[in-house]
Amino acid sequence: MRAQIIIRYIGFVFLFNALFLFISAAASAVNGDSALLPLSYSAVVAALIGIFPAIFVPPAENIENDEGLVIVVAGWLMSSLIGTLPYIMWGDPFTFTNAWFESVSGFTTTGSSILSDIEALPAGLLLWRSTTQWIGGIGIIVFMLAVVPSTGQTAMVLYKNEISSLAVENFRYRTRKTLQILLVVYLGLTVLESLCLVVAGMGVFDAVTHSFATVATGGFSPKNSSVAHFASPVIEGIIMVFMILSGIHFALIFLGITDRSGKIWRSSVVRYYLAAMAVGVLLVGYNIWGRVFEGFWEAMRFAAFQVISLGTSTGFATADSSIWPGFSILILIFFTLQCACAGSTSGGIKVDRIILFWKSMICQFLKMKHPKAVVALKIDNTVIEPRVVEAGLLYITLYICVVFISSLVLTFLGVDIMSAFSGSAAAMGNVGPGFSTVGSFSNFAAIPAAGKWVLTIVMLLGRLEIFGLTMFLFYRMIR
Amino acid sequence: MKIRTKIMLGFLILAIMLAVAGAFSIYQLKTIGSSVQSLLDDNYRSINAAKKMTESLEREDSGMLLLLSGKWKEGRRTIRGADENFRQALETAENNLTIDGEKAYVERIRKLYGKYSAFWDRPIAGTADEGNLDWYFGEVQPSFKAVKGAVQELMSVNDKAMYKTASGLKNQAHRAIMPLLVAILSALVFTLLFNFFVNLYIVNPILSITRSIEGFLTHEKPIAVKLDSDDELADLAGSVSNLAAMVKMDRHGSDQ
Repeated sequence: MRAQIIIRYIGFVFLFNALFLFISAAASAVNGDSALLPLSYSAVVAALIGIFPAIFVPPAENIENDEGLVIVVAGWLMSSLIGTLPYIMWGDPFTFTNAWFESVSGFTTTGSSILSDIEALPAGLLLWRSTTQWIGGIGIIVFMLAVVPSTGQTAMVLYKNEISSLAVENFRYRTRKTLQILLVVYLGLTVLESLCLVVAGMGVFDAVTHSFATVATGGFSPKNSSVAHFASPVIEGIIMVFMILSGIHFALIFLGITDRSGKIWRSSVVRYYLAAMAVGVLLVGYNIWGRVFEGFWEAMRFAAFQVISLGTSTGFATADSSIWPGFSILILIFFTLQCACAGSTSGGIKVDRIILFWKSMICQFLKMKHPKAVVALKIDNTVIEPRVVEAGLLYITLYICVVFISSLVLTFLGVDIMSAFSGSAAAMGNVGPGFSTVGSFSNFAAIPAAGKWVLTIVMLLGRLEIFGLTMFLFYRMIR
Repeated sequence: MKIRTKIMLGFLILAIMLAVAGAFSIYQLKTIGSSVQSLLDDNYRSINAAKKMTESLEREDSGMLLLLSGKWKEGRRTIRGADENFRQALETAENNLTIDGEKAYVERIRKLYGKYSAFWDRPIAGTADEGNLDWYFGEVQPSFKAVKGAVQELMSVNDKAMYKTASGLKNQAHRAIMPLLVAILSALVFTLLFNFFVNLYIVNPILSITRSIEGFLTHEKPIAVKLDSDDELADLAGSVSNLAAMVKMDRHGSDQ
């Protein structure tokens, strides 16, 4: 493994972050707020450290797969570290632990926060907070590859190490075009949502920051009461539509626009994703109707927003779902675990794996009934290789294990069981809010410092889909 | 890029990092200085004026009691002195409006004080009001309390503003220290990186060239040093290789 090549690419990650820090600093300067110094100094430091390896290390033609893995994981860790700088330099309430939590939560698009009064933060820092989600949404390295010149093979090695393994399987292209598709859809959705929100009456700053958080399925809002602040069904509707879109495989959205063959609607993954969401909305809406909200449509409106928000791993809120009946909370926890489709910006186990799980269960029943039959697992008439099924089921098992271990550690640290479990599930799925003390209108400030570190590790495990971070940490042992 | 440029750029980056950290810290310290000044100028002056007004009001109240008890000479003297002090302090507060809404507080004091002073503007000693405690507790003291309350409100507003500024100072001090702290940590990381690159791209090639020359001298092994870079060391490796080839040719020539 060539350390200098890894350092060169990590340098590019620093430069990439510096670019967005400069943009946030510029916004801070225009607004004349107190975040100018923390943002601009962080930008200078990131730029200087980032440019240094490029001076010494000549460009590499190709990179090895293990180098790609280290670049991706180290890139995420370094971005999170750079992301803490503006926070800790700005000061109270950002201790290093809090700043790290906010930064990791941002880059991994989790959207959990330690802030009690978000609106007290200057606009520049709020923009940086939203930008971290936008950078992390599509993947720091994927985003960076669009800016940094690199060969097709290098780009694909890095891309494969960052993107969900299922998404890589699903993509039709194996070239740089995949990256272009991702970026076009990502930028397109962001611009379109910003415009829609502005037309709906939101200010430009709020529209942009909310679009960043929606398309990245992040959930950081610059308002204390999240989307509830606007109390506008139109704004909620726009955000719901874009949350749903951001949870669909980007290649399918691209095909849906360019091809117009209706392939997006023929995909069983998308059909299951939408149907599950619709059933969830109906169940939760019916359950809270008369118990929490008097009107039927009012209940449906709030149920739809919460189900879609958690079901796409976004984490925005229009109501405090922590006080909803147990049945609704359990349905919402299911969506917190499942989340949306592979190939999108969503976290969680992902719909694709849930379908694999159900179908492999059916296959198992068929095999029990007809022991001599050859039963192939198919999705959309495509036979899924056993190694993909095996990896998918292993992932679900490991996912549940991580959530359980994290809950165990948090309860050991004195966190109540509901906050511990829902907080861990929300961190692992990069969803954001949990229930009880870490609910949609609460925050993670009260979690002990050690618990915050545990949750940030879980967020990174969820974002890098367990295997990436595990292989990075135990590289020598695995080798 | 040549080694000279690389090393120069490396040190330049380090220098910029430290210079920017220093500049930011100096700027923040200067801001702290001006904040302290504004804290004294803006809030402390108003608080001081409010304290003087309260003291003057207390003395005026004593003067009123002297008038009520028929000691009009001492009473008038006490009130006149206190009134002069009160008006001076009120003027100071009026000329030092630094907080949003502070003007309304000062205007209220002036208005209430006007009403209160009307009680002792007219004669009291030797009139029906002399010794009239019902009149004092029913009309004069409520008016006195109202002015005092308005002055307390002014003081409280400035107190809060002062606390806010002081809290801001704590954050500014934090922001003055942090660039230096970050610069120190970054410089440490940077030094490690610099050391790694110098070893990898300068020291290792030199050792490799040295080993090749030794191999050539002792066992006549061909000099073949492959360097990724396009700098002085690559030139040196090329020159040494050429030199070795010429020496080899000369030796073969003299052997024949």
